[in-house]
Amino acid sequence: MLLTSVIIVLREVLEAALLVSILLALSTVLGISRRWVGWSLAAGMAGACVYSLGAAEISDWFDGVGQEVTSAALQFLVYLLLLLFTLLLLRASGARQLPEKLTMLIMAATVSLAITREGFEVLVYIYGFSSVLPQFVTILMGSAIGASIGISIGALIYYFVCSLSYLQSLVLGTGLLALVAAGMLSQAVLLLIQADWLPSQLPIWDSSGWLSEESVTGQLMYALIGYEATPTALQASFYFGGLLLLLVVAILAVSSRRKFV
Amino acid sequence: MVRENMPRTGKLISRVMLLLVCSMNAVSVQAGKPVIEIEIRDHLFWPSEITVPANTKVKLLVYNRDPTSEEFESYELNREKVIMGNRKAVIFIGPLLPGEYPFFGEFHPETAQGKVIVE
Repeated sequence: MLLTSVIIVLREVLEAALLVSILLALSTVLGISRRWVGWSLAAGMAGACVYSLGAAEISDWFDGVGQEVTSAALQFLVYLLLLLFTLLLLRASGARQLPEKLTMLIMAATVSLAITREGFEVLVYIYGFSSVLPQFVTILMGSAIGASIGISIGALIYYFVCSLSYLQSLVLGTGLLALVAAGMLSQAVLLLIQADWLPSQLPIWDSSGWLSEESVTGQLMYALIGYEATPTALQASFYFGGLLLLLVVAILAVSSRRKFV
Repeated sequence: MVRENMPRTGKLISRVMLLLVCSMNAVSVQAGKPVIEIEIRDHLFWPSEITVPANTKVKLLVYNRDPTSEEFESYELNREKVIMGNRKAVIFIGPLLPGEYPFFGEFHPETAQGKVIVE
């Protein structure tokens, strides 16, 4: 039970922690104030509370697929916001300054929405055990361990990206961001397939023998690059299409900055 | 206000999406997907094994009779859904190739285990 809670919470926290750490690192590298972090963490947690309090109601929306639709909408929005951020980076390259307030707002909104989505599951899980005290203590301990591991990995990534040179950090930061964003997009598509809003198909490949989604590496890859062992054609095309779009904008943005370093 | 600010392509996409959703709903009504009911009681799935036809989309109705929430999860089926206590959930699965697809309750994996057998 302790291990289960560690894994459940780690999985959710890791996804959010990756996003926060990459955006925070880019904020540092680009010389943007990091004031947005505290606010967005608080807003995200408030959002997660609202989502989990309303979870029973929300689940009944759209003939019982409200949860899928809501979570998919949150993830689509996160992708769009990350695309918007990368476009801003491209527009501001050269002598032009990045609009600090707008950039902070986009980063804050991205993190708030991502935490709302990931935090919802954690809260529902922990709350489910609140009536049985001994179990609750174990679950809280496990959750704390899981969250600490997730946050530590996020911190490692933050310090690693910041330790590089300006251009290297930009390349790595925007590259990682593109991978996380594409993963979000593919998860959103999967949720809409589960809700029967998008057509479902047979998977186009099965790489579970090579890397199982249940393994530690599989879980890590799921959080970092949205790894899916048995994706459908629709999911894969959104993933690669979304990834390509973000990477192209990121490469253009970074390469135009090269001349000014 | 949001609608007014929406660019033309955005409007077009939303219309196409709406059309797509409507047409898919029409198909699902016509096709009449098989519905299979599963209950969660004392952190166990009843029945814990269900058999579904191959290459067919199936609607799972999962009733959570426990007061606590559960998460229906399956790596093989690519499905993940939180089911609140004393509530039911709709989960669409398939079309699937013949085989066995395990699923479990992520919040109580020690007991909540089951599998979908596709024939």
